[in-house]
Amino acid sequence: MVTKAVVSVSVAATSITCSRFVINPAHRFLCLKKLSSFNSFSASASALGIKWRGVNNCSSNKSEGFATTTRASAQPLENADELIASVETFIFDCDGVIWKGDKLIDGVPETLDMLRSKGKRLVFVTNNSTKSRKQYGKKFETLGLNVSEDEIFASSFAAAAYLKSINFPKDKKVYVIGEDGILKELELAGFQFLGGPEDGGKKIELKPGFLMEHDDDVGAVVVGFDRYFNYYKVQYGTLCIRENPGCLFIATNRDAVTHLTDAQEWAGGGSMVGAICGSTQREPLVVGKPSTFMMDYLADKFGILKSQICMVGDRLDTDILFGQNGGCKTLLVLSGVTTLSMLQSPSNSIQPDFYTNKISDFLAPKAATV
Amino acid sequence: MEQGLKEAMEATNPNPSSSAAAELLNGVNAKALLDSVDAFLFDCDGVIWKGDKLIDGIPETLEMLRSKGKKLVFVTNNSTKSRIQYANKFRTLGLSVSQDEIFSSSFAAAMYLKVNQFPPQKKVYVIGGEGIVQELQHAGFTAFGGPEDGEKRAQWKSNCLFEHDKDVGAVVVGLDPDINYYKLQYGTLCIRENPGCLFIATNRDSVGHMTDLQEWPGAGCMVGAICGSTEREPIVVGKPSTFMMDFLLQKFNLSTCRMCMVGDRLDTDILFGQNAGCKTLLVLSGVTTKSILDDPSNQPDYYTNKVSDLLSLI
Repeated sequence: MVTKAVVSVSVAATSITCSRFVINPAHRFLCLKKLSSFNSFSASASALGIKWRGVNNCSSNKSEGFATTTRASAQPLENADELIASVETFIFDCDGVIWKGDKLIDGVPETLDMLRSKGKRLVFVTNNSTKSRKQYGKKFETLGLNVSEDEIFASSFAAAAYLKSINFPKDKKVYVIGEDGILKELELAGFQFLGGPEDGGKKIELKPGFLMEHDDDVGAVVVGFDRYFNYYKVQYGTLCIRENPGCLFIATNRDAVTHLTDAQEWAGGGSMVGAICGSTQREPLVVGKPSTFMMDYLADKFGILKSQICMVGDRLDTDILFGQNGGCKTLLVLSGVTTLSMLQSPSNSIQPDFYTNKISDFLAPKAATV
Repeated sequence: MEQGLKEAMEATNPNPSSSAAAELLNGVNAKALLDSVDAFLFDCDGVIWKGDKLIDGIPETLEMLRSKGKKLVFVTNNSTKSRIQYANKFRTLGLSVSQDEIFSSSFAAAMYLKVNQFPPQKKVYVIGGEGIVQELQHAGFTAFGGPEDGEKRAQWKSNCLFEHDKDVGAVVVGLDPDINYYKLQYGTLCIRENPGCLFIATNRDSVGHMTDLQEWPGAGCMVGAICGSTEREPIVVGKPSTFMMDFLLQKFNLSTCRMCMVGDRLDTDILFGQNAGCKTLLVLSGVTTKSILDDPSNQPDYYTNKVSDLLSLI
């Protein structure tokens, strides 16, 4: 079942200088607009005329309002060499593609080495916001993979990069409902922040005369996966969003479930974001997949053409949609959350270009049996 | 108001909200209102009390209405207490209200399962307060979770599996100030993995006056969290769903046009009243301000500052 907040962006203001990214109203997810100046970032954000008409399409399986063209059914990957030769860059999701929990998936090191030896650029884009890029770099290293921090784009980084791109004022603060990764990236980007895991220990008592104060200087609330989620944080974030004029509501991602451990699924960032949507009646700006923010960012950073990219992931409604929205080739691997029957189900409308069992199928010259 | 829910309500509402502007209650129309209704349905938070503080003039107003032979019913979306617990709260605040006059969304959840013949061998997992657990148990169901799961923590070790009871056939979600990841995960697994598991929401209020001084996130928050992780929409038993009205009507031999719903929220109380065909009176003593009322799309029949205006105006 595919669910996402389908957000229509209607750009009202015209006094925006186009820099790197372009808001394309046809894009149903946030593609970023870099604003040239920010006297009052809140005025600019509303000057963008971003009215978030969120429609929670929970009960429908359609990726509503999405591809106007019907895509052909996904093809099993029969000629890996041809696919490899046709692109310059591979973007890999991590959970369910490279690893599951803390276990590497079979054949990954050799596959990455092979692609590098063919001169391919490798990029890793993950919605998992619990770690910073640096911390992910360490995880790759621990698993024996040669991946540098610069090649990793986590949604924790995306949140900080987004705030940077809109010149979020340094005298404003960010309240975080999420884990350490987000805090680290905000710190690296030079932003003041509050919240995070330590607010997980804070309790409230709904007694007469009790008032929860909140910092009026909070100009953005960033919400992501949070295992220390509690009512204190919900109230703090809700007060900021509802009462601080122009306060932004940013979601790292909205994945319903995630493979925290290799054995099972766990409630994902979509849960925490859903909670704040419920209390604020607002839809967030989503910076992680399937929003193309990270795609635009890295294409710009590395100077790559999106048609020269192949997105490899295990989730239809984040990874594959991300690739399609970006205009890339897309390859679904069945080593993660999506099974072949889910892909082929009549209720699924997201069709990647190709599918295969796992990325090490790239090493087999002939078709891998799926 | 949550977009999807609003659309659903508009689709099923046989009497679309009138575009006529709400009338400010005055001496004339207040008397006419009193003469035209036999029963007053009151919301509680923001209407009768705020947190644990009674709003001014309530006791005298309720007494006046009873003395005029009006039936009083209290319909609250706040599921943290059971009807018995609410009756106690009323008593503590000096108001004489019997359990039978109270229809809480905690009660509604239990009644929904009863009316739909939820199998007694199945269990119910509760993300919410003691009120829900008690009402479910009172109705004869096996309910667990609730406040005690507020102390539980999940483990994320490689060989540790987060277990859940395969016999859970329904997850009931309501206001939960003890919300935590453990409960979110437990409820999510039940809904996603137990075949046919129901997802029931007591209500979806975004915020409410849980204390007298400010608003706090409501059940809409916890329900939103579970929608986010399960990609499913819940069955809503509280306002604005008219489910509770059926029980109310069983009790009183009245038609809904002889009832007036008094509440502080447009998207729950007033919509509930309108959907059921009642007259509607919005009070500004709770979450709704006059400026919100200026939006023409959702107009109650009448509005006034607080319930005690009914007493002072006539």
